[in-house]
Amino acid sequence: MAIKLSANYSKKLGLPQYSSHSFSASVEVELNDITQVEAEVQKLYQLLQQSVDQEIQQPGFVPTANTNGNSRPAPQQKGRAQPVNGSGHPSAPPNADRWNCTDGQRGFILRIVNENPGITKQVAEELSQQLFGIGVKQLNKMQASQLIEDLLVLAGKPTPRQTRWQQQPTNAQAA
Amino acid sequence: MNTLAASSPERSEQDVLTALQATVSASRLSLFLQCRLKFYFRYVLKLKKPKTASLHLGNAVHAVLKAWNKARWVQQPLSLKVVHETYQTAWADNTEGSVAWEPGEEEADKTTGWRLLDTYLRESHLPAAIKPDAVEVPVEADLQQHGLPRLIGILDLVQQRQIIDYKTSATTPNADKVSHTTEIQTCSYAILYRHNTGAQEAGMQLHHLVKLKNPKVVITTLPPMSPGQETRLFRQMEAYLEGLQRRDFIPSPGMHCSSCEFFNECRLWS
Ligand code: SF4
Repeated sequence: MAIKLSANYSKKLGLPQYSSHSFSASVEVELNDITQVEAEVQKLYQLLQQSVDQEIQQPGFVPTANTNGNSRPAPQQKGRAQPVNGSGHPSAPPNADRWNCTDGQRGFILRIVNENPGITKQVAEELSQQLFGIGVKQLNKMQASQLIEDLLVLAGKPTPRQTRWQQQPTNAQAA
Repeated sequence: MNTLAASSPERSEQDVLTALQATVSASRLSLFLQCRLKFYFRYVLKLKKPKTASLHLGNAVHAVLKAWNKARWVQQPLSLKVVHETYQTAWADNTEGSVAWEPGEEEADKTTGWRLLDTYLRESHLPAAIKPDAVEVPVEADLQQHGLPRLIGILDLVQQRQIIDYKTSATTPNADKVSHTTEIQTCSYAILYRHNTGAQEAGMQLHHLVKLKNPKVVITTLPPMSPGQETRLFRQMEAYLEGLQRRDFIPSPGMHCSSCEFFNECRLWS
């Protein structure tokens, strides 16, 4: 009696602007002997994973902050929780002109560079490499915010000391 | 994100309320939920009160930890001498107002702060070899898609995807209680981290520097924010928005009143 073995492999990856894409591949084979199952599963898994991995590297259309009209998730009902994808979003496909941070952060970094002769693009790039091991354009929003803080310190214009620790009600005080 | 809008003294109460509805932080939200009248005095009327001694100590300790973490990030660790000098400078900083010290109190508190730092750094809770991901970084998250305000906050330290928050405390924290009492703050930080990195935090740590005769450090490790906790936070933010909308600023008397700087103003409320 022939034994049917179905295998399916699917993968979902995050993309910038809170999007994601997924791909799955299935295959069905017939086996003559039940003892072949283990080896065949192993073979199919490798084959399917390899195939899916190869294809999923092509993200196709990737929304940007400017195309949010069509690409952002639909507004949620007020107050309804929608957990952020916990798997982490990988970096966007390489694109020399694309910045990972927000347009506002990009503008801020460029303004610091333009307005402070001591802070050239190279200085900003080197600081980014030193802190994060990646270039300015690759920084995520948190890293860009940190870079801005540090560039402002370098420019002698640190942001005013934050006052969030003021007058905490309990005897535990944020240090 | 990094510019602080100067608040104009002529802003009407409605302008202030509109701004508070547009942007929320963990401390504002916590205070609103603890006592709406106190929130009103602090954030709407902006009544000025003298800086407290514990706030001054907390700020000085925080400034040193920030400098120390930044220095180890660029692999130029601070010597104990430089740490001490940084502490002296931070202690002398009165830009946020000065404390009305009782005689002898300032020196005692200054020594306490230094001993906390000395203990924390000596015990090497953060190995020098591990680089931070962020140090005292201001971040924000647009929660408009949930019908909620923009969330803002500052992450003290992020390292190996762990969000670390420093606190000075007069008493030894209990792990279960502190994970509950700091939930608004830790969950806000988790949301900020996720929105700004696109990744989920590995977990959170509260580093309490406890002001005992023999100072000690208590580290409470918390798991990543759960979906249930996120829902709780969003509901709390909804209550905040609705309360501001209704101008609901009633007092909530309780144990917390013993440390309220607006006690006298509160007694006049009717
Ligand atoms: S004294 Fe108590 S009830 Fe009154 S404002 Fe302060 S915390 Fe609220």
